[in-house]
Amino acid sequence: MRQIYICTDTITGLYSALHDAWAENRDGDAGISLKGRAQQQLFCQYKTVVETEQKARRLERMIRRYMGYNTYWDIYHALLSEDCEKGTAVFRTMQAARRIEDSRRIMEHLGDQDVAKVFAMSRSVSNEAHMYEEFIRFRELDSGILFSEISPKAQILTCIADHFADRFPLENWMIYDKVHEVFLVHKKQERWALVWGGMADADALERVSENEKDYEKLWQIFFSSISVRERENPKCQRNHLPFRFRPEMTEFAEEK
Amino acid sequence: MQDRIHTGMTLEEKLDVLSDAAKYDVSCTSSGVDRKGDGTGMGNCSKAGICHSFSSDGRCISLLKILFTNECIYDCRYCVNRSSNDIVRASFTPEEVCTLTMEFYRRNYIEGLFLSSGVLKSPDYTMELIYATLYRLRHVCRFQGYIHVKAIPGANQRLIRLTGYLADRMSVNLELPTAGSLRLLAPHKSRRNILTPMRLVQNLSEENRQEIALYRNAPRFVPAGQSTQMIIGATPETDRQILNVAESLYKKFDLKRVFYSAFVPVNKDSALPVLPGDKPPLLREHRLYQADWLLRFYHFEAAELLDEDNPNFNVLLDPKCCWALRHLEQFPVEVNRADYRMLLRVPGIGYKSAVRIVKARKMGQLTFDDLKKTGVVLKRALYFITCGGRMMYPVRMDEDYITRNLLNTRDKLLGGSDGITFRQLSLFDDMNFNGVDIR
Ligand code: SF4
Repeated sequence: MRQIYICTDTITGLYSALHDAWAENRDGDAGISLKGRAQQQLFCQYKTVVETEQKARRLERMIRRYMGYNTYWDIYHALLSEDCEKGTAVFRTMQAARRIEDSRRIMEHLGDQDVAKVFAMSRSVSNEAHMYEEFIRFRELDSGILFSEISPKAQILTCIADHFADRFPLENWMIYDKVHEVFLVHKKQERWALVWGGMADADALERVSENEKDYEKLWQIFFSSISVRERENPKCQRNHLPFRFRPEMTEFAEEK
Repeated sequence: MQDRIHTGMTLEEKLDVLSDAAKYDVSCTSSGVDRKGDGTGMGNCSKAGICHSFSSDGRCISLLKILFTNECIYDCRYCVNRSSNDIVRASFTPEEVCTLTMEFYRRNYIEGLFLSSGVLKSPDYTMELIYATLYRLRHVCRFQGYIHVKAIPGANQRLIRLTGYLADRMSVNLELPTAGSLRLLAPHKSRRNILTPMRLVQNLSEENRQEIALYRNAPRFVPAGQSTQMIIGATPETDRQILNVAESLYKKFDLKRVFYSAFVPVNKDSALPVLPGDKPPLLREHRLYQADWLLRFYHFEAAELLDEDNPNFNVLLDPKCCWALRHLEQFPVEVNRADYRMLLRVPGIGYKSAVRIVKARKMGQLTFDDLKKTGVVLKRALYFITCGGRMMYPVRMDEDYITRNLLNTRDKLLGGSDGITFRQLSLFDDMNFNGVDIR
């Protein structure tokens, strides 16, 4: 019977599942499914993983040590993907790494289906994260906090956190991932943190500062006047800036 | 500092006027320097540059691109801001520029500031205002993001130097490719007048490099280097002349980038050409960028790409294909043996693919299938290569035959209805252009 590990769609959850799967089934066939998104299949045995930080940390250390930092980087990003099969693909990649001479070079084996899948997921997640570094728009709340809401496919918040923390060390800022319902919170001169759970105070997030509307307006003015009419090219604009980002961008506010 | 009366002009109106006047400047890149924030202010820089939006002309918006003022004592024939034009004039104050930059940056609208200017009163006076703005932005607002600033030709060298220590990139516009054209269209400017500050920036950068080698913490002088731009199609130069100018700028002035700006007719003026269909020469601009790329990354010389008999680029084929077709005696090349530089010259092989090929073939003989994985555009390359001694299909090494075949497979876009898509940088496919640096 194939063993399926069920975990939450978080890094701690997935690492814990990988940890258990590795401990119990590294030579066998096992799968990892996400809680609430698993489809019951015949001839499978299901087991809900006990998720702990300790397991997660142990597994992370193991990946880094035996598979190298670059592989770890790909695996980490792959596990943030929206793909339900990501856990299984990573597990099989770990198994494949064991079969080759230099496990650190596993990501070069793109002929292996699971490795190729991990690679593709990692690429897509880091691309999406990069897009958000470009396209995130903050608004200033009346509390002075810079606030942004986004709807990413993958859970990219941790990928962009260092970037913004380095950029705005003296600001209080906050990015809310509406899809996964997570806040990335940065307090002035402190480290960033993730906060799960519902809206703090939905109303407070709507109350913008006195000048906010002025700057939004200024930005919209700039945005339209900087374009050269003789070179108009919406197709090119769309290639670089897909529609799905626009509802959350200040300069496209009217198009909503 | 307010010398003219701008009664009643709001910040919105000023921004409208002064960004509109700056939009013809093509460069908007925020690349060339990596700098972490030091925790005492706001901002950082990333080497590859970051785009924050794309305007409806498809160009990247990375920097707050504005003029300090559109007042100008000069009368360049091609420029909206020329003194003889009757247009709304506006000037920012240094404080206003700083506020806009900081507030836009905080909201992640932009990567930094691109500050250019018309000439208000005198070059020195203008440069002083620009310097005051940058000084305030760096030292009062503690802004650590990207700043690209124009050096005003004719301005005091000391001012240019001081400003350069506050900026990441500095540029002086060449404006037009030749001295003759300048005389014709920009009577107040001279070639010498433009090249002097360019040389100055080059020399100061060199000195600065030595300082930094000695004292690691010496202040940086324009760390992202110097660029320039010229207008294409307002004057009768050939592509060959233009490319030669670009080449000597790269070689003699150590420029990071030369930008080409298709002439957009904004003034009615007898000295200016009438463009076919009133459209800026975008394809020509595109070809020049492709050729420029060949100079910078593919070890081509301008003289190889164009000569007296072929002074202009081909409308239908990119410069690399044209070169290859004129040198069929050097093809086909065997990808398993050809040296790196020769691989670079094969149409369809970009510089990343060339690197991958050189690495991969150490592991064993490459096949056509392997080539595909390295990113080679086979439908173009196949006329010019052999793999293990064989060509992919039997090909006649004949210029007309290959040209016909190449045209069948690509550049269909020329028939496209909006006629503008060929401008798209994604078309640098053969060069693995990823759009990063042309921003
Ligand atoms: S100096 Fe610059 S702003 Fe003034 S007219 Fe000439 S191009 Fe225009």
